[in-house]
Amino acid sequence: MTTTSVGTVVTELETDVVVSAVRRLATDVVELTLAAPDGRPLAPWTPGAHVDLLLGDDLVRQYSLCSSPADPTAYRVAVLRTPDSRGGSIAVHALAEGAPLRIRGPRNNFALLSAPRYAFVAGGIGITPLLPMIEEAEAAGADWHLFYGGRSRASMAYLAELEKYAGCVTLVPQDEAGMLDLDTIVGTPDPGRLVYCCGPEPLLNAVEERCASWPHGSLHLERFAAKEVEREGEDETFEIVLQRSGLTLTVAPDATVFQTMRDAGVSVLGSCLEGICGTCETGVLEGEVDHRDSVLDPDEQAEMDCMMVCVSRCRGDRLVLDA
Amino acid sequence: MSHDPAAHTTAPARRCPDVPHHAWYAAATTEEVGRTPLARRVLGTPVALYRTSDGAAVALEDRCAHRPVPLSDGRVDGDDIVAAYTGFRYAPDGRCVGVPTQVQVPFGAAVRCFPVHDDGSFVWVWAGDPRLAALRPAPDTSWLRDPAWSTFGGAWETGASIALLLDNFADITHVAHVDPEIAPLALGAAPPPLQVTVTETTMRFARDYPPAPLADWNAQVLELPADAAHAQREEGEFVAPGLWVDRWHVYVEGHGDADGTHSFVFTHALTPVDERTTRHVWRVSRNFTPSAAAEGTLAPIFERYYGRVRDVLETMQRVVDVDGPRPEVRVAADAAASAVRRIVERLVAEETGTR
Ligand code: FES
Repeated sequence: MTTTSVGTVVTELETDVVVSAVRRLATDVVELTLAAPDGRPLAPWTPGAHVDLLLGDDLVRQYSLCSSPADPTAYRVAVLRTPDSRGGSIAVHALAEGAPLRIRGPRNNFALLSAPRYAFVAGGIGITPLLPMIEEAEAAGADWHLFYGGRSRASMAYLAELEKYAGCVTLVPQDEAGMLDLDTIVGTPDPGRLVYCCGPEPLLNAVEERCASWPHGSLHLERFAAKEVEREGEDETFEIVLQRSGLTLTVAPDATVFQTMRDAGVSVLGSCLEGICGTCETGVLEGEVDHRDSVLDPDEQAEMDCMMVCVSRCRGDRLVLDA
Repeated sequence: MSHDPAAHTTAPARRCPDVPHHAWYAAATTEEVGRTPLARRVLGTPVALYRTSDGAAVALEDRCAHRPVPLSDGRVDGDDIVAAYTGFRYAPDGRCVGVPTQVQVPFGAAVRCFPVHDDGSFVWVWAGDPRLAALRPAPDTSWLRDPAWSTFGGAWETGASIALLLDNFADITHVAHVDPEIAPLALGAAPPPLQVTVTETTMRFARDYPPAPLADWNAQVLELPADAAHAQREEGEFVAPGLWVDRWHVYVEGHGDADGTHSFVFTHALTPVDERTTRHVWRVSRNFTPSAAAEGTLAPIFERYYGRVRDVLETMQRVVDVDGPRPEVRVAADAAASAVRRIVERLVAEETGTR
């Protein structure tokens, strides 16, 4: 099939940057400053945003921006070297000052909603998206507190930067103070307070469990890996109607909506293809979605007005999409 | 008793609820703001603009804290503005610093002060929480001050919501219907594929046209033969809620000295006045033929075209006002407009804390 019926191509912005500074922040954590080669402003962003680093053929990794949106000339990312990584963090750690790099984005699935009070919960390198959030919460005069756990002080990035917020920060290095005491931190629902949490999967799951009794929409998580989704039975065939393109397509049990749209020449964005980055978000005009992503929270999923087409499917036999 | 200036102002209902407030809007052009107060409305709020004795632009809510008189009806004295009728005197930060009838200044008396950014072309006003202004840089319009570009333009209020203006800029395939004379001949055939590029807060689109002759006026200002064909590129960019920028590039080859990329940049500063009125400052910049004669050819053409766009948008606003909004049929060319709507909705959700 050709693309003649659908002449529109939607892509995310890709920008060529250079690594303008490299800083070792903590054991196994390196910070890169990225800037346009000519120093021109980069695309604006808001706290919680991340970019893709295009590290080589098929090696694309997402990292949260941890600098300040107030500085349009540079992005900063901090990357933990992980031995079991598929090579992304090792490639990043090999980058030297002056190295050229291509990035995609920014995009944001972890946006900071305006609120009077916040609990920020960071595990290890999960501190990165929370730094610009803290800057904004502080500027807005919100009542906020950061609970930051890590293996040891030496492994925890940005401790010096956090010193100025002394009274609002609780540091919990595991070798001195054990684990984050989540029962105290988020054990009791606190209406009006928003919880932003980023870190390893066990921390996210533990926080998610305790926040289940909080008002809907209180908890915001950023995942580094896809969450396990239980499946009931076999995947079924269903139909998708693409309203703008004027196409009706059939999604086979072994195909994704994303792949089906791509095969038909319909422009749809994709990056992780695992339901974690939010790139492939597509508006849903009709039908019930079987959500299988890790991007939308339960409230957003219940609204049924958008879906991650790289993983999510249909609960009935037909979806009408804004595509 | 509280000494907090905020204690004297009760939070009003959110005006222009569907528009981002945490954004910079061009309340005025740099030349418009001087030592005589200027009255404008931004997102439903009256704003008085003036300059201090050292030339710094100031934007204060245009309503005296004592009686409902506009500050802009008063006068600038030194760095302060003095309201007519009440004689209340306000410093550039909005604090009341003197009242005529007593020595003691009422505690906490103040008017709202808007963060401003004067970039030499526009006086941008931050319409949202003033404490967050420093975290969001104002958009760049440096080409308007670059001697390599020649610029003319106009300004008016369009009786339509900013959403209708953004939808219009996101899809200019209607140009041929609005103004057949200005429409590039390249637009005549079925449009080439639309390339849309998004980020978290911006959207750009582009279309590359195969070589086609230029409209008469375009060939004339480029000093090229009317029948020669040139490749052309159309670009549009939602830079920020208050700034749209279009570009039109003509790639000239085989015409000697005239060879090169000849570009127009169309700058649109869009400021919601209220829910159904938008201040539209438009600028047409070109990097070729800087002569006054060329401007004499171009200015009336663009004035007429943007005027017709205004008329159409005002008609649309009237239809919506009378007949109510309705779901619209979408077509492929709406990809750009949809992307902009999504960004705007997201920004509003973030700043209001709702989803
Ligand atoms: S491509 Fe990443 S969520 Fe679908």
